[in-house]
Amino acid sequence: MLHSRTLLAATVAAFTLFSAPVRAETPADTLIQAWAIDDIISLDPAEIFEFTASEIAGNSYEGLIGYDPADVTKIYGKIAESWEVAADGMSISFKIKPGRSFASGNPITAEDVVFSLTRAVKLDKSPAFILTQFGLNPENVDQMVVQEGADTVVFKMDKPYAPTLVLYCLTATVGFVVDKKLVMEHEANGDFGYEWLKTNYAGSGPFAIREWRANEAVVMERNANYSGDAPAMARVIYRHIPEGATQRLLLEQGDIDIARSLTAEELDAVRANPDLKIQEGPKGSIYYLGLNQKNEYLSKPAVRQAMKYLVDYQAIADTIMKGKVSVHQAFLPNGFLGALNDNPFALDVARAKELLAEAGVPDGFSVTMDTRNTPEITGIAQAIQQTMAEAGITMELIPGDGQQTLTKYRARNHDIYIGRWGPDYQDPHTNADTFARNPDNSDDATSKPLAWRNAWDIPEMTKMADAAMLEGDAAKRAEMYLEIQREHQETSPFVIMFQEIEVSAMRNNVNGFIVGPSFNDNNFAHVTK
Amino acid sequence: MTAMTRREWLLSERPASRRQARLGQAYRTWLTFRSNWLAMVGLGIVLALILVAIFADVIAPYNPVIGGDLRTARFLPPLTGDHLLGTDDLARDIFSRIVHGSRLTLMVVVLVAVIATPIGLLVGTTSGYFGGWVDTVLMRITDIFLAFPRLILALAFVAALGPGIENAIIAIAITSWPPYARLARAETLTIRDSDYINAARLQGASSARILWGHVTPLCLSSVIIRVTLDMAGIILTAAGLGFLGLGAQPPQPEWGAMIAAGRRFLIDQWWVATMPGIAIFIVSLGFNLLGDGLRDVLDPKARK
Repeated sequence: MLHSRTLLAATVAAFTLFSAPVRAETPADTLIQAWAIDDIISLDPAEIFEFTASEIAGNSYEGLIGYDPADVTKIYGKIAESWEVAADGMSISFKIKPGRSFASGNPITAEDVVFSLTRAVKLDKSPAFILTQFGLNPENVDQMVVQEGADTVVFKMDKPYAPTLVLYCLTATVGFVVDKKLVMEHEANGDFGYEWLKTNYAGSGPFAIREWRANEAVVMERNANYSGDAPAMARVIYRHIPEGATQRLLLEQGDIDIARSLTAEELDAVRANPDLKIQEGPKGSIYYLGLNQKNEYLSKPAVRQAMKYLVDYQAIADTIMKGKVSVHQAFLPNGFLGALNDNPFALDVARAKELLAEAGVPDGFSVTMDTRNTPEITGIAQAIQQTMAEAGITMELIPGDGQQTLTKYRARNHDIYIGRWGPDYQDPHTNADTFARNPDNSDDATSKPLAWRNAWDIPEMTKMADAAMLEGDAAKRAEMYLEIQREHQETSPFVIMFQEIEVSAMRNNVNGFIVGPSFNDNNFAHVTK
Repeated sequence: MTAMTRREWLLSERPASRRQARLGQAYRTWLTFRSNWLAMVGLGIVLALILVAIFADVIAPYNPVIGGDLRTARFLPPLTGDHLLGTDDLARDIFSRIVHGSRLTLMVVVLVAVIATPIGLLVGTTSGYFGGWVDTVLMRITDIFLAFPRLILALAFVAALGPGIENAIIAIAITSWPPYARLARAETLTIRDSDYINAARLQGASSARILWGHVTPLCLSSVIIRVTLDMAGIILTAAGLGFLGLGAQPPQPEWGAMIAAGRRFLIDQWWVATMPGIAIFIVSLGFNLLGDGLRDVLDPKARK
């Protein structure tokens, strides 16, 4: 076997050397994507919190409800047929669609839904807070999420939260429904099948996960028992190819169908190639600078404002990050309820100098910025470093890998942190919760949102965000968020710069790929080629 | 003196003073060296590097860390306007960055030589001169350092100390002394029992005095040759650390880091990574040629 493989490899190598380049082609019923899949740590919906794994779950599992990726306000039932909010707003009951089944052939019942939600709360992994924020915890969840009758699930809460907030939270991967019978067959030591599901599959989506080889590939297959229209592709394969340049070469040769992580320069080359096309979709991720209020200079309000005038937003969006971001300066991304789309700041060195003089530091000062060593973040950071220098602010970059910079940031030992924040679900509360809420600013606080990480003490704004969370009327709620964002723009220690645009390059024959606002909305069930 | 030209005075068969003898010897060495044109090319490159590093501010037309207009001045190919070698992804002039980067390169080379050579000489001569358990202990420590591939050990040190050009220098210095120690020990072993050393010992000279005054000078020439030949390796290691993101940090114009940054654009904007690569190539070649030439003239064993 080994010999024949070596021989095969040698033959292939010989052919590549001696024959003219022939365009390879992927099989007609297989979609091959190149992406960096090294962020996957688990395939269990109760634990998935990473970009790649979210997308895989979004195409292989289903939640109670979903929304239209083109217009997130249109919520529809997936596993649920209908839902009803109780008169007091303290619970929502979901009626399950009859006659649908999991990939294993087991029917989807109310029991599976109750099991999935209670399981996620009891396992208490990173994304569990999306459910537990409604007053659920491992002790009371058996009373809070209950089955009523044969086909109804009741989701109870401790306060009358805005219904859209609850519904959007249930569209997150943590609310996806798993096959109780199959999972419990693999239970070991009361872990609800957690060890097994980490690398296996028990869902009902259009595709089934067949295999995940870490840092190599994820293979998905058409789910024969899927209740909706059968996808045209029999197989979807993710190949782990982190380098954009390699992805581009493979795409040009036809070895892959979709390249997922090309840089701005590579996208320019793809645009010029008649065999390839580009598909874009705005994502909810926000690029921002976090200014630690423990730093004596950065804690001055005028300095914070000055720094907002020292980033050349438009030039960065037009060059280094061309096509990958749009300028956006409020914490709610465009497309969210109540998103503020005013961009009041632009590079204005003279104005910044006035503000610095007002703050008592006319000659500038020195700070450090923790920078993740990815090419894009480093590029943005260096461009900011240059414009800051024009106003006398000496900014030293401290590069590190994601883990290093994030650990330092979470312990709030940084001066400035350049970060990217992705919303956890489609409700405005997800970002308000982290950018505009800081219930306890002490060093040993239990909840540590971004406002805490930057030591920004905001009792008033926290109250406003809490009130918006409970407002049932959508128009009123949107107005409340607009008000918070306007104040946030003027006072916060966050220099919010860009909203991400996800760009995929693909071969001309690939159609029907949908880029949604969050990664679990990226959909390839309708792809044809 | 009047009848004698300076050349004749230097080449005199009967020097009248120790100074004249020494200068004469140096002049003869220089004459041999000068006749090797490859070595002269090497010397020229190294001198050019030093001059460029000293006058970087005058030579470089642009600021090495602050770029031009992102919209209009990114990725200009070589020979566009007054950008001799083009510009990079942040609209910075590559020529200016390479010129300023020469300072970092020279600093790395000089500091590593200044730190590693004395350590190697001290360990080697002490070990060879005293022998016995001192020799065993010191040489086993040297063995331990030699057992690691150099770049890997440097990587480990930088990972422990934190990234940065200073730490890269320390890491490279720590990893480059063992060969010098070996060399110095070997030289010491051949001369420690010679008559003039014994004579000095009989006159009551202390071990330190013998080591410093009699042994070290004799080891020096072979160590200098080795250090010069190693400089190319030192430059490559520093560039390697920079390439891996563990050496100089952005926006410092270190050549290895510049290649790492330019690698992403290699297909369409080849010059961003190629230019600093050529700079590293030329300077490494220069040090190698110089080292070769020095060996020809300084190494008594190689002389015909």
